[in-house]
This record gives sequence, structure tokens and C-alpha cells, in this order.
Amino acid sequence: MPSPEPEITNHIRRLRFEHGEMTQENLAEQAGVTRHTIMALEAGKYFPSLLLAFRIARVFGAPVEQVFEYHGGEAK
Amino acid sequence: MSDSEKWGWWTLGVVALIVAAYGAFVAFLGHGPATPSVFALLALTALPASSRRYFTGRRFDEREHQIASKAKQAGFGALWLAFVGLIMAIYFIKGWDATLTVPVWEFMETLWWAVTLLLAVEALTTIVLYRGGYHA
Repeated sequence: MPSPEPEITNHIRRLRFEHGEMTQENLAEQAGVTRHTIMALEAGKYFPSLLLAFRIARVFGAPVEQVFEYHGGEAK
Repeated sequence: MSDSEKWGWWTLGVVALIVAAYGAFVAFLGHGPATPSVFALLALTALPASSRRYFTGRRFDEREHQIASKAKQAGFGALWLAFVGLIMAIYFIKGWDATLTVPVWEFMETLWWAVTLLLAVEALTTIVLYRGGYHA
């Protein structure tokens, strides 16, 4: 039976609000990307590179697995 | 709207203008050496790149790089298909041994259309990937 399509979800929106209602613009600036990329991430339309995932996690001062979650698609 | 999306819409607008201008030119003047002059409009696609905003304010992050790269691939893919299609069409109509005599202006016009196709597909792909989301 084929494994379900792997998916990466994130808690960026919640973390922004927990960090003094940080704006997307502000987060984008600190992570070194455009606001459109933050919007795409929050909407689940884009999976970031490892580098960007770590940079975003660093902005929130949290480990990367608290910002991003991997679902499904077990490795063989 | 991001700068890349704006570039996409701008380029599609220029392509539409080229098609309309070309159609009007052919309708009023006929198909001749003067028609490729409408392709001077192609120069407009360079306008966003040469604007001050491009040099001072445009940001290109990893997602935009990936989208731009996919869009370029799609553009060149379309160009390749068109080239193969054209060669096959010539083969079916004229045969492999045929000799083609093409006026320089028609050859030039074909090249312009190739550039127009490349830019149109690149712009369209950019817009679609931005709208629909793009997963690396």
C-alpha cells in the first residue's frame, strides 16, 4: 500500500503572534526572504530549504522541529 | 504582488501588444519585410529590468530563484517543442531533401517569435507558480 504523500506543516503564524505579534514583513527581513515567501510558507504553499528553516527557527529562538513538522511518508 | 509577478504580468501585456500590433500590421500592410518592425515592442520587456526599482529594491530569495528557474525551463521547453514541431512540419510538407529559400526578414521574424514564445511561457509559468504555490 503506498504511503501517504509526505507533508511539512509549520507554526510560523502562531509563533509570530507569540513574539509580540511580529509582522510578516519583520520576520521576512530577519530571515532574509521576501514577505511573499513568508505568506507562501504560512499558507502551506512552499516547503523551505533547510537553511531557511533554520534561519526562521533562529528568529523565534526555537529549535527547528518546534517551527516545522514532518508528517507521513515513512523512510524505508 | 511581488516584483517577479509584476514582471510576469508586464511581459504578458507586452506579448499581447506584439500579437495585436502584428495582426494590425498584417491586416493593413500585408505580410512583408515591414512587419518585423512591431517586434521592436519586445524591447519593452527590458523596461522593468532597467528600472531603478530593479537595481535598488528588488529582492530575489530562494523561492523566487526556484520559480524563476522553473519558469526558464518551461520557456526553453516550449521553444524546443516549437522547434521540433516546425522541423517535423517542414519534413511532412517538403520532405527531408527539400531546400528552403527563406528571405532574411522572415528568418528574423521567426527568431523574434521564438523569443516572444520563450518570454510568454516564462511569464505565464512565473504567475502560475506564484499563484498555485510551489514546493521545492
